[in-house]
Amino acid sequence: MGSNTNTGDFLVLEIIVMIKQVPDSQEVVIDPVTFTLNRGAARNVINPADENAIEAALRIKDKTNAHVTVITMGPPFAESALIDCMSRGVDDAVLVTDRAFAGADTYPTGLTLASTIKKLGKYDIIFAGEESTDSSTGHVGPGVAEFLGTDQASYTSESWYEDGFVYAKRELEDGTEVVKMKPPTLITVLTNANDPRRATLRKKIDAMKKGIKTMTLADLGMPPEWVGLRGSPTVVKSMRTIDEKKREGKKFKIEEIPKLVDELIEKKIISI
Amino acid sequence: MSEFDVIVVGAGPAGASAAIKLAGSGSSVLLVERGDPPGSKNVSGGVLWGDSLGSVAPDWEKSAPMERYVEAKGVSFLTRDSKISIDFRSKKLQERRSGYTVLRTKLDGWLSKKAKDAGAMVASGITVDKLAFKDERVIGIEQDGDIITSDIVILAEGANPRVAINSGIRDRLKDRDVAIGVKEIIKLPEKTINERFNLTSSKMGFASEYVLGFLEGGVKAGGFIYTNKESISLGLVISMKEMRENNNTRSFDLIEQFKEHPYIAPLIEGGRVDEYSAHMVQEGGLKSVPQLYGNGFMVVGDGAGFSFSNGMVLQGMNYAIASGIAAAESAIKAKIKSNFTKDGLSSYEERLKSSFVLQDLMNFKGIEEVTWSDMIHRGIPNMTEELFLSLFSENGQPKAHMINLLIRAMGHSDVPRKDMVINMYRMLRRM
Repeated sequence: MGSNTNTGDFLVLEIIVMIKQVPDSQEVVIDPVTFTLNRGAARNVINPADENAIEAALRIKDKTNAHVTVITMGPPFAESALIDCMSRGVDDAVLVTDRAFAGADTYPTGLTLASTIKKLGKYDIIFAGEESTDSSTGHVGPGVAEFLGTDQASYTSESWYEDGFVYAKRELEDGTEVVKMKPPTLITVLTNANDPRRATLRKKIDAMKKGIKTMTLADLGMPPEWVGLRGSPTVVKSMRTIDEKKREGKKFKIEEIPKLVDELIEKKIISI
Repeated sequence: MSEFDVIVVGAGPAGASAAIKLAGSGSSVLLVERGDPPGSKNVSGGVLWGDSLGSVAPDWEKSAPMERYVEAKGVSFLTRDSKISIDFRSKKLQERRSGYTVLRTKLDGWLSKKAKDAGAMVASGITVDKLAFKDERVIGIEQDGDIITSDIVILAEGANPRVAINSGIRDRLKDRDVAIGVKEIIKLPEKTINERFNLTSSKMGFASEYVLGFLEGGVKAGGFIYTNKESISLGLVISMKEMRENNNTRSFDLIEQFKEHPYIAPLIEGGRVDEYSAHMVQEGGLKSVPQLYGNGFMVVGDGAGFSFSNGMVLQGMNYAIASGIAAAESAIKAKIKSNFTKDGLSSYEERLKSSFVLQDLMNFKGIEEVTWSDMIHRGIPNMTEELFLSLFSENGQPKAHMINLLIRAMGHSDVPRKDMVINMYRMLRRM
C-alpha cells in the first residue's frame, strides 16, 4: 500500500514519472531474418507518450508545491533521457539498471518499477505514458498501480490537483469522464495529450551538474528470479513482417487533373 | 565571476575542436549544440582533407569514425552525353596525406565525446538565442530568457550564423554568401562500391567533384560523389544567385538529373536512398568573412566564412578545425593575461593570417567568380567534348592539327572564343 492514506494538504506533493527510452520509431526497421527490431542506427529518444506524462507532472508542479522524480529501468545510456527530463524541470532522476533486468517483459518491468517507487519512499501521484512505441502493450503503468495497490486512471488527456484530490480526464470511446481520486494514485497519459515543454540550457546545466541516481537489483533487494528474462512469463513463438505492397505509380501534369480523377474513379479508388 | 571560462556555440568540427583544446588545457567549457545528438543537423558531404584532427586528438587515427581513405580523386565535366574526367590515383597520396571521407553524424558524435572526455560540459538539443552583452562586451549567451555567463564566447554556428546575426555582430547573409547543398546517402554493399569505383580495398575511397554542364535550363551547379564504407554520398551545390536567376529551379530536380546522367546512373544503380538532406553552404570567399573577434567573442569555422572551393576541391572541415584550435589558443592566452577584450583576443586573427585558413582565402580571392563562370560550366565541357570527339573518332576525313581542332571546338562551347581565352588566362592566374 502507498504511504499516503490521509487526505488534506501535503507539505510537498511527491510526483513520480515513469519513462522509457525507445529507439526513434521512424528509424527502426525489423530485421527480415531474425524478426527482431534492428535498433542499430536509430537514435534513442524519450517514448513520446512519456514526454506527455512528464509535461502532465510539470503542469501540476507549476501550480502546486511539488517535487518530481523521473525513473526509468534501462541500460546505462538511458541516462541521457533522464537528463533530458531534468532539463525540462524535473527535480530528480533515478536510473534502475542491472544486467539482471535484461530481457524483462512487462510483468517484471512493472514489478521492478513498483519496488523502486517503494524504495524511494513517499509518493502521491505516479505518471506514466499510455504505452511505448517499441512494444505498445500499455501494461506497465496499470501493472505498477496493481503492484502498489493504488487507484489508477488510464487514457488521460488532462489531470490536475486540487484540495487534496487528484482529478484526471479520461478519453473513452463514447465520451470523456473525469475521475476524482485520493492520492496515492497512478495516471497514464495519452500520446499528444499536451504540448511538452522544451529543455532550457539553464536547467540542462543544473541537471548535468546534479546528475542522476542509480539503483541496482541489490539496492531493490528483489530475488533475481523475479526480474529480467527469468521473471518474464511471455514467450515469443514467432513473428511475421508484412511486406510492403508494390504500388502502381503514375505521373500526371497539373492540366491532367481531370484525367487523374477519371482514372481514380475507374479504378474504384474514389467514388463520386 | 563567470560561470564558465568559455562557452562554445555549435558542436561541429570547429566548435568541438575548440572545446577539446580548451577543456584539455584546464579551462571550464560549455559546448552547446542545437542538434541532438550532435551531428544530426549536419549535411556535409564530405571529405576531411589533411590530418588536422591530429591537432585535436593525437590518437584520432585509431578511434575516429573515418569511412575511407581518399585513394582516388576525380574532377569531371559532364555534358549531356559525355563525361570528361581527371581520375587521379596514386600510392603517393597516402604518403602525402590526402583525406578521409566521413559521415558527419558519426564524426560529430565522436568529437563531442572527446570534448566531454576532456572535461567540457556538452549540452545538445539546445538552441542559443543570442549573445548577452554588458557595456558593449559579450558576457555570455542568452537562452530562453536565461543568461549563462562566460569570459569568452566562441561562435561555431556553421553556415547559418543565426546567433551572430541576432546579436548584431554580423550582417544578414546575402545571396552571394551562400549556396544550397543537397545530398543523398545511397546504400550499397561495400564490395559493389569497391568494384564500381575501382578501389583496391574497402579502406580506400573515391572522391570526385563534377561540373554539371548539362542541367536543364543551363543552371550552374557543382556535383560531388564520395564513397563511404557502405554508402555513397552524392549531392550538389548550387549558388543562391543561380537559384534566384532560374526561378523554376528546384534542388531536388537537379539532383535527379545528376543521378540520371548516363555515366552516373550505373554507379548508384540498385542503391537505396537512406537519407536526403539539404543545408546552406558557405560560398562567399574572403569578402564574406565577417568580424572575426571582438570584446569577449571569436567566430570560427563556416560561420566565419572559412571554406574553400576552387572547382577541384571543396574544403571546410579542415578550416573549421584549424580555426577552432586557433581560437582556443587565443582564449588560453587571453585567460593568462585576464584580458578578454578585443585587444586581448587579437592574436586570433594573427594566428589565422599566419596559417592556411586566411592565406588560402587571400590567395584565391575572387576564385568564386571563376568557379561559377559560364566558361567552367559550359565553355570547357562543351569544348573538350568536341575536341575529344574529333580526336577519338574516325570519319574517313584527313586529320586536322590539334590547334585547329581546338579552335573549332571552341566554336561549340556556347561561349565566344575571345571570352574563352581571356577567362582561361584569368582562371590560371587565380588558381
